[in-house]
Amino acid sequence: MTHFLIRRIFWAIFLFLVATIITYLIFWVIPTNPAQLAAGHAASPEFLASIKHRLHLDKPIYIQYFYFLQNLVIHGSLGRSFLNQQSVDSIIGKDAPVTASLVFGGAVLWLSLSVPIGIISALRPRSVTDRLTMTFVLIGISAHPVWIGLILSFVFGYKLHITPIAGYCNFIPGTAGAQCEGPVQWAYHMILPWITFMILFAALYVRLIRANVIETMSEDYVRTARAKGASQRRVMIHHVLRNSLLPVVTILGMDLGLALGGAIFTETVFNLPGLGNQVIRAYGANDLPIITGVVVFSTCCVIVFNLIVDVTYGFLDPRIRMS
Amino acid sequence: MPALKVTDLNTSFRTDDGVVRAVSGVSFELDQGQTLGVVGESGSGKSVTFLSVMGLLDPRQAQITGSVQLEGEELLGASNARLRQLRGRKIGMIFQDPMTSLNPVKSIGWQLEEAVLIHHDVSRKDARQRAVEILKQVEIPRAEQRIDDYPHQFSGGMRQRVMIAMALINNPEILIADEPTTALDVTTQAQILRLMKDLQSEYRMAIVMITHDLGVVAELANDVIVMYGGKVVEQSNVDDLFAKPEMPYTWGLLGSLPRLNSTSARLEQIPGQPPSLLNPPSGCPFHPRCEFVMNICRQELPALEASVQGEGHRFRCHLDDEARTRIWNQKRAALGAEETAA
Amino acid sequence: MRRKQLISLFMLVLGASLLVAAMAVAAASGSTARAGHAAAAKGGTLKLNESNEDFDYVDPQIAYRTDDWAMLNTVGMPLVGFPEKSGTAGTQLYPVGATAFPTVSKDGKTYTFHIRPGMKFSDGSPVTAAAYQRAFERTLSPKMGSPVGVNIGLQDEIVGADAFFNGKASTISGISAKGNTLTVKLTKANATFVSQMGMQWFTATKPNLPYTSQGVQTFPSAGPYYIASRDPGRSTVLKRNPYYKGPRPANPDEIVFTPNVDPDQSLLQVKSGASDLDLVGNVPTSSASLAQQYGVNKSRFKVGPTACMSYISMNNSRPPFDNVALRKAVNWAVDRPAQVRLLGAYAGKRTDQILVPGVPGYKPYNVYALKGADVAKAKQVGGSAIASAPEINFVHTTSQSSTNRAQVVEYNLKQVGFKVKDVPTPATTFYQVVGARNTTYNMTSNGGWCADYFDPYDFINVLFDGRKIQANNNPFYSYFNNASFNKQMDAAAQLSGSARANAYAKLDQELMVKYAPVVPYLVINDHFLTSARLKNWIYSAYFGEPYFNALAVG
Repeated sequence: MTHFLIRRIFWAIFLFLVATIITYLIFWVIPTNPAQLAAGHAASPEFLASIKHRLHLDKPIYIQYFYFLQNLVIHGSLGRSFLNQQSVDSIIGKDAPVTASLVFGGAVLWLSLSVPIGIISALRPRSVTDRLTMTFVLIGISAHPVWIGLILSFVFGYKLHITPIAGYCNFIPGTAGAQCEGPVQWAYHMILPWITFMILFAALYVRLIRANVIETMSEDYVRTARAKGASQRRVMIHHVLRNSLLPVVTILGMDLGLALGGAIFTETVFNLPGLGNQVIRAYGANDLPIITGVVVFSTCCVIVFNLIVDVTYGFLDPRIRMS
Repeated sequence: MPALKVTDLNTSFRTDDGVVRAVSGVSFELDQGQTLGVVGESGSGKSVTFLSVMGLLDPRQAQITGSVQLEGEELLGASNARLRQLRGRKIGMIFQDPMTSLNPVKSIGWQLEEAVLIHHDVSRKDARQRAVEILKQVEIPRAEQRIDDYPHQFSGGMRQRVMIAMALINNPEILIADEPTTALDVTTQAQILRLMKDLQSEYRMAIVMITHDLGVVAELANDVIVMYGGKVVEQSNVDDLFAKPEMPYTWGLLGSLPRLNSTSARLEQIPGQPPSLLNPPSGCPFHPRCEFVMNICRQELPALEASVQGEGHRFRCHLDDEARTRIWNQKRAALGAEETAA
Repeated sequence: MRRKQLISLFMLVLGASLLVAAMAVAAASGSTARAGHAAAAKGGTLKLNESNEDFDYVDPQIAYRTDDWAMLNTVGMPLVGFPEKSGTAGTQLYPVGATAFPTVSKDGKTYTFHIRPGMKFSDGSPVTAAAYQRAFERTLSPKMGSPVGVNIGLQDEIVGADAFFNGKASTISGISAKGNTLTVKLTKANATFVSQMGMQWFTATKPNLPYTSQGVQTFPSAGPYYIASRDPGRSTVLKRNPYYKGPRPANPDEIVFTPNVDPDQSLLQVKSGASDLDLVGNVPTSSASLAQQYGVNKSRFKVGPTACMSYISMNNSRPPFDNVALRKAVNWAVDRPAQVRLLGAYAGKRTDQILVPGVPGYKPYNVYALKGADVAKAKQVGGSAIASAPEINFVHTTSQSSTNRAQVVEYNLKQVGFKVKDVPTPATTFYQVVGARNTTYNMTSNGGWCADYFDPYDFINVLFDGRKIQANNNPFYSYFNNASFNKQMDAAAQLSGSARANAYAKLDQELMVKYAPVVPYLVINDHFLTSARLKNWIYSAYFGEPYFNALAVG
């Protein structure tokens, strides 16, 4: 166990270094001038130099990276935005729950949709149901989330007045300046983003679950169960499902860690103040500290989710648990 | 009344390439407490025959005709519910690969209890007691502790014991064992076979031993069916078959049987490939591989005829009695010479 | 396995109940929205979207974008400012926080402001001259690191400001505040000074508002509103300043800004009334259909000019455009209507001069072809120099709109016989390419300028004073430097009142007729869709926005 933990921690540190170094390298390769952005369009060379100095942009990129590490390790801080001097820690602290509520809410929806559909189409391959769901899968995979989001907003928000068009409300009431708050308003504003997110992933999961269920149904132990006289229902629930959902847990863990990618589009379309939205704007403004901060955070997410997957996997699969 | 009576069983599969006739015209009887050996190469239809008997083939793919009677009750066309009642209760089945035949995420105790609970309205505690009991009978050491272990914690031989335990847990009339020892090493094979023998005498069930190994048949079976290309090519009691096999394919099988006192490193093999079931050869299915092939073999399927020894021994071959006797005597002499030379 | 079933069941129930709960709320809130409101000018919450952007700073001494300023004007109390009036009246500065325009000493170096008595901050504390002194200090303090003062050269304008800016003095010696009297001593006479005071930086600021390079998010202010809360990237909420007793309008009870909205979604929200207005304007492609539906400036579709001018820039310091004949030829050759059409319906007004309507000294004149390219005239003006001119390096950014714009100009140039080389340049390096003194660029279609303060100086002197050219990072890429014109600009900058306006009108015309350093082609319009309930639209060309405090949703 100790050995496992130590290996894990080294792996995490390695991942973290690779991810942040790549971020810095990309930033270094792209010729940008964040000091200019911070200084305004008509800054004198002297003033520009003073801004560069303050932001450490006058130093070589590896020194900047060193400052970043130093700041993180010694002060536990991710620094401040080039653009508006806000603390990156507090930006991430505020935005991460929004992204999390999008990702987890979406995951609950897409799982509760794709598990039954995947099973139904696996039980009746090539049937009408199967073909219909595969069409749905194809549309889901092909459609861009921005397009899905806009169509949903237009139909349900603008035309039918069932949902808000866009916007976000805090789950926990009490934030100053909030126009709407509380769990109910939160969920009400999250319906369309969740559905968008769901469509994006449900397609992949239906396909994955269908393939896994079909594969598991031809396993020898399923034949054994049927030879024991088990009913179709019992075979599905006790022998097929758990085994065929095992790989889904792995994929789900990875997807949740990496969901930021999908969240970017959904968040921008629905104006959710999450990490995806933040990083897109930071990218536009060459705001390295925010970009690096989000990279660090999502790297940690990936690492943590991988760990959670491993632990869950051990719980679900005795073969892993024992070894 | 025979425990199991199969009459003119035909099983075919619809595939994208055409219809595969996996079993054609198979008939046999199995009496209570008896052991039937079913011998043949892979693809000869021996497993499919008994999956058809068990009703374990996907009805959307497999088409089954003929008659299967379990203690006089017709199984083909019986309801799913009835079939489920019989499976695991009246007929137990164990499979070739014990490594993959147990659910990896359930403890073996759970899987054994499940077999009880499906057919008996008893408490899980009682089911567990029965499971421990049967595990002891299949000679699993420390059964009380090991019952909560998972399949991957057992060796192959132990897992096959668990499979046997699971098949016997409801005292079935018939145990169908589909190559139960093929995946095991030689010592373990012997232990499992001995165990099955012992259990048979204790439980008095009939056994169907599906195998490609005539040695296993010689040890366990009362009667033998030799299958080739989905058809029964020879059928006899075990002594007759070994004394005077009538069919060139059976000769081949006997030639490939290892002998403990033989120094010959290589076994005699039947040259060629098993026939394609999608495009079966015309005439006798064995003719492309038969060293005694005649023109008629390519055109006509020989009928399953009784041999001169009596009704109990039937076979398919166009060779006349004299030719078969002469060839068998030569073969036996060659095999015997090898033994003597050793 | 029982647990497994429970989990999946739980998830299904959770998913379903979230949806059902949300639908129920939807139905409920839908019915309240339809309940309607009594009509009244005052009151209500004004809901404003900002598509794809947020205020970068709301600290009045750091903010440097016009949308920031439009919001700060709502909460601020500058010494001088623009009245909440439409049209030309709205472009005339008037004393706001001061009782009158400042008295100026004979040498033109000492300005004395008398602060309006009785004004109070939103926390109830009184506004005195010290509040304005603090504004100067926060603009220039090295602890603020604010770019704004430097960008207009403020540290060189005021006595002692340079020492303060460089951290050598703790106060600005040239500024003194006694009671309600504020005195500012300048290093040299500067007639632009009062116009500069109209900028939002010089607003009443609590004397104890700290220096911080991160900027403050909420602070007491003396205008009709104050910032009640600010959550960057999420919301900014203004509330009525209970201590404000002046004449400026304060119609909505509350003004809420929602930033970073997707432009398409924002349009839907304004159409449906979920939002009242998007400050950034409607999506350009929607203008034509909005105009058809609502008419222009008749009901819900508003179009107004800004203080922003777009131009095609030529590099006056290198061949071939060191030749004035060729610069004029280009001014004839460019198809201005085609350029405006590229930007969509109601994009703006064609122009061929530097000053924009509303700026003192603006007089429309027509030297070049406003109605389309005049190839014959261009060939005639350019003469044989066109054929002998070296190939033109035409630099443009790689965005679709920028590329389209460049292609049209390049076509116009080829029509009259220029040889053109297309040089697409990513936006990230573009400014480094064109901003360096020794650049090889000849021409670019990416030029644009918006007024910092509403004075002709901010266009003519700021854009065309060649003595300000530096080695790198030049914001103006014409590299025009003419000694006699420099002298004329200096002279005009010293004038005030109508003499100033007349002098700049003459300069504006002379610049294009005689030197033609750039090709101005467009005064940009802003266009907005408003909600059905939005009333009292008073548009400011300077901010490019309506006055938020005047808008009525009650």
